[in-house]
Amino acid sequence: MRILIVEDDADTSQFIARGLAELGHQVVTSGDGRDGLFHATDGGFDAVVVDRMLPGLDGLALVKALRAAGNMTPVLMLTALSGIADRVDGLEGGADDYLVKPFAFTELAARIHALGRRPSTAAEPARLIAGDIELDLHRRTVSRAGRRIALQPREFTLLAELMRHPGRIMTRTMLLERVWDFDFDPKTNIVETHLSRLRSKLNAGFDSDPIETVRGAGYLIKDGG
Amino acid sequence: MRRWLRGTFGLVATVALGFALATLAIGVVAFETTHEALELQLDHRIAIETQALIDEGQDGHEGVASAIRRREAASSTASLGYRLVDAANNPVAGALDAAVPAEPGYVELLPYKAGGEERIAQSLTTVLPGNYRLLVAADRAAIDEMDIRFIQLFLGAFGAMLLLGIAAAWLVAIVTRRRLARIDHTAAAIIDGDLSRRVPLSGSGDEFDSVAETLNLMLDRISGLMENLRQVSSDVAHDLRTPLTRLQNRLDEALRERDGTLQREAIEAAAGEAGELLEVFSALLRIAEVEGMAARAHFQTVDLSAVAADVADAFRPAMEGSGHQLVTSIMPGLTLSGDRRLLQQMLTNLLDNAAQHTPRGTTVRIAIESDRHGIRLAVTDDGPGVGEKDAPELFNRFARVDRSRSTPGHGLGLAMVAAIVAIHSGKAIIAPRPGFGVHVEL
Repeated sequence: MRILIVEDDADTSQFIARGLAELGHQVVTSGDGRDGLFHATDGGFDAVVVDRMLPGLDGLALVKALRAAGNMTPVLMLTALSGIADRVDGLEGGADDYLVKPFAFTELAARIHALGRRPSTAAEPARLIAGDIELDLHRRTVSRAGRRIALQPREFTLLAELMRHPGRIMTRTMLLERVWDFDFDPKTNIVETHLSRLRSKLNAGFDSDPIETVRGAGYLIKDGG
Repeated sequence: MRRWLRGTFGLVATVALGFALATLAIGVVAFETTHEALELQLDHRIAIETQALIDEGQDGHEGVASAIRRREAASSTASLGYRLVDAANNPVAGALDAAVPAEPGYVELLPYKAGGEERIAQSLTTVLPGNYRLLVAADRAAIDEMDIRFIQLFLGAFGAMLLLGIAAAWLVAIVTRRRLARIDHTAAAIIDGDLSRRVPLSGSGDEFDSVAETLNLMLDRISGLMENLRQVSSDVAHDLRTPLTRLQNRLDEALRERDGTLQREAIEAAAGEAGELLEVFSALLRIAEVEGMAARAHFQTVDLSAVAADVADAFRPAMEGSGHQLVTSIMPGLTLSGDRRLLQQMLTNLLDNAAQHTPRGTTVRIAIESDRHGIRLAVTDDGPGVGEKDAPELFNRFARVDRSRSTPGHGLGLAMVAAIVAIHSGKAIIAPRPGFGVHVEL
């Protein structure tokens, strides 16, 4: 992926750029809001990482300007503000995802990957397929190798979220945000227990597990096979 | 001058001066009116007397002259004087020692002599047939005396009033200044650093007391916040020293370690410590943010029943997995104005606590109901509970029953709950035992 990083703190910028480059991405960095907007508008990026507070033009204004110009490149906004309403502001301003500093690099990488796969303009398909699992978002049914599997509503949402990004890691906090709408991390292992229930239902009668646990990072559903 | 006028003394003095001027105007008018009335009365008397003399001496000046003589002989009072002169100004009758005016009519101030003394009379000159002129005069002493009395009385009263006004202004100024000085002194003492000072009340319940009471309430609130801030800073400094020391120890260990695998382990442990520190900071910042009440601007109607059901739903598998039982008794459709995420977090923190600090087999209960006071929310368990002494402390930052750190957590969960309850204008209490419970009124 070609990724643009707009971040004025050189340390953070370098930390992200180096990490993403190690994962095989092409990275362009900019330390200024106006310069960043210029690069982003220029196009050709698969994802943009923007800091909320920037010299020249702040992150929120940058995203708004980008969207106003009809550019739909996925944007991940970073912020040092833990403001409760900030997240909402950022997402309403046109950012696709929001991450509060300090963050673990794996978290950032997982979110960027999830963004890259998101069809930002096209409507979501009604059916999601990953390997031998089929999920119908309208009828809210799940089947594995043609066999119907009954899931609880949360388990269904959890599986759907994993299947929207097949082969991509979804971190614990991403799942908490998207499935439970929690913007904080409970100490109780909510995600783990739901996943283990989902797994046992999906795997009953099968000898392979389609959901992979990536230690220290999160979960992914295997793409194909 | 301007400043002086705006002071209490200036204000009251100005009002007093205004009253005095008004009184002076009234006095002048009253004086004029009385004076005129007295003169008119005197004119009237003279006119009647003149007419009586003319009537008595019907056959001309001889008759009038004898009438005058009769009167002068009879009357002992010298209040009226008479003089009759002929055309050549030769006196015919009357003892009044004054020049008779040539023209007929009233003369207000006619000088005459009596007992060798110059006096002033009011007079009427009438021309009789044969060009005789009759002068009837009345002494003005009565009017003058009256005038002097009046002026004396009035000036006395006026002066007293002016003095009283100034005294009142001065008194009001002194009282006001003294009462304000108490507030001033208190403020000065607080500026100098004695934050415990409060404005003394006079106990009369007057305007000054009510201002003082409001000021004292404000000072209480400010000192509460200051105390809170001080407490938080010292707590933060104190409670973060331990993990920071551990972090430093791990890094020292990593620096000393020669074996690559062990070094990596030490670095990983250090990174873990740093992560935990960051977590504590985030939690502290979030609590501070909630306590700042800024989120109130974004309050919306939230279905608390639905939020609670969702959170219970999220926790149930994990709690059952750890051998707990989660029971809900939620009255549906209870709404309030608030922040959904914060309410979620409040419930999450309470359930986290129950899940982590109670043994297997404990039943945790979420109950939400409404009564006429509002919504009552309770998260209770039938676990061992905590000591009575510890209970009220638990809403403070870093307060933990188990200081030995054998259980996870930083002692910030309930502080967050308290902050969230406060921002929703609610009340929270901890029931320490039997079982542990947090009861919230929203």
